[in-house]
Amino acid sequence: MPEFSPIDFAVPAFVLLVLIEMIWARRKRQGAYEPRDTLTSLAFGLGSSVTGLLTGGAVLVLSLWLYQFRLFDFGAEWWMVWWLWPLCFVLDDLGYYWFHRCAHRVRWFWASHVNHHSSQHYNYSTALRQSWTSFFALSFIFRIPLTLLGFHPAMILFVGAFNLIYQFWIHTEAIGRMPRWFEAVMNTPSHHRVHHATNPLYLDRNYAGTFIVWDRMFGTFQAETDSERIRYGIVRQLGTFNLLWAVFHEWVGIAQDVWRAPWRHKLSYVWRPPGWTHDGSRDTSDMLRAQWLERQAPAALETSEKSVPNENSIAVKEKPA
Amino acid sequence: MAFLVKFTASLLAILVLAWFALRLGLGRDARIRDKEHAQLLADEVVYGFEALKTAVDKFGRAALLQDAAGRVILVKLHGAQFSGRLLGPEAEALIWNDQGERELLVSSGEWLFGKASLNIADPDDWAKAVKAAKEPAHA
Repeated sequence: MPEFSPIDFAVPAFVLLVLIEMIWARRKRQGAYEPRDTLTSLAFGLGSSVTGLLTGGAVLVLSLWLYQFRLFDFGAEWWMVWWLWPLCFVLDDLGYYWFHRCAHRVRWFWASHVNHHSSQHYNYSTALRQSWTSFFALSFIFRIPLTLLGFHPAMILFVGAFNLIYQFWIHTEAIGRMPRWFEAVMNTPSHHRVHHATNPLYLDRNYAGTFIVWDRMFGTFQAETDSERIRYGIVRQLGTFNLLWAVFHEWVGIAQDVWRAPWRHKLSYVWRPPGWTHDGSRDTSDMLRAQWLERQAPAALETSEKSVPNENSIAVKEKPA
Repeated sequence: MAFLVKFTASLLAILVLAWFALRLGLGRDARIRDKEHAQLLADEVVYGFEALKTAVDKFGRAALLQDAAGRVILVKLHGAQFSGRLLGPEAEALIWNDQGERELLVSSGEWLFGKASLNIADPDDWAKAVKAAKEPAHA
């Protein structure tokens, strides 16, 4: 199989799209970019490529070792089996969905993935805000099932790169909504804006990489509504552009919490959702959504009594999905 | 060697893009507009926070909000966005003179979060409120 890195070829296009989006921002929305935030995001991207290079070899060696235990053998010339490529892409995207869901629901994985969400802006530079600590967080384990199924690690890396490239263009406010059929199947800027939002309605929704159908199938889909002004970032905004703090802050938080917690709760600060505390002093995304729904219900009920009797008290507040 | 070339090229591209964003004047002019705006921002810091008393800096750089329980939130400009903290025991407030005007300098106690300077009508009252504010104990 020839050596080819799709991301190397995509980088010039990424730079060009960032430039184009900046010009759009100059004309339409000056607040869409902030130079220090952009610098931090891009430095994240560069650092991530360095850590990826340093740790990628270990992941590849491990994957090649696991490959000998594969369930199906597609032959020595596996790359010539054309249908394996799209199948691998779809299954890798399914694996990505579960990785991404765990990355938001398990604090250990979140400590690495939070890097990508730490900007209060949502633009193409945010897409490059990639983690430096994904190897340490063991994120690669989510791709092991594909290797064990019989997909060659090189093929998995290749389709994974295309998945990452696809996700670049959806990190923008410059694109409203795509045609309806496209929004139904694919991940889009609209769907992914929801994912990056901190509004209680939007928290921990739309984990998809390329195909939004996974969220629809597994009950985590939320459509973007015009009634909710999106706020980007994380629930407790960093309030600093310091790159190192942005990279490591959640790991530091875990260490502090584990250190201070009573023995029987220590591990819970590692595997439970972000925001979980043994004394209830902080809120998880589920708790924030529950509070939000509680606050919405009386207002929605009032509206429904005035206008549409017998209508769902929550649904009346929002536009249909 | 190839990696070093790629790394250097990427670093240059990063600096050019950040410089370009600066040249275009992106991310300026963000301000806390008024009390209602400050309330919205405080609600993002502590969900459900309802301010009884609000002070917004004359230049819109920061705001302080206090609720019925005496809790105080500091909201400040962060680039083109805003960021805030519920003030706790580490918070500090001091009054200083800036070109003849009395300003309140508030720190959350979090080093990287930074300090906020507020030109407000009653800095003494707010300094007292900040000193009295006690955040609920965190794990």
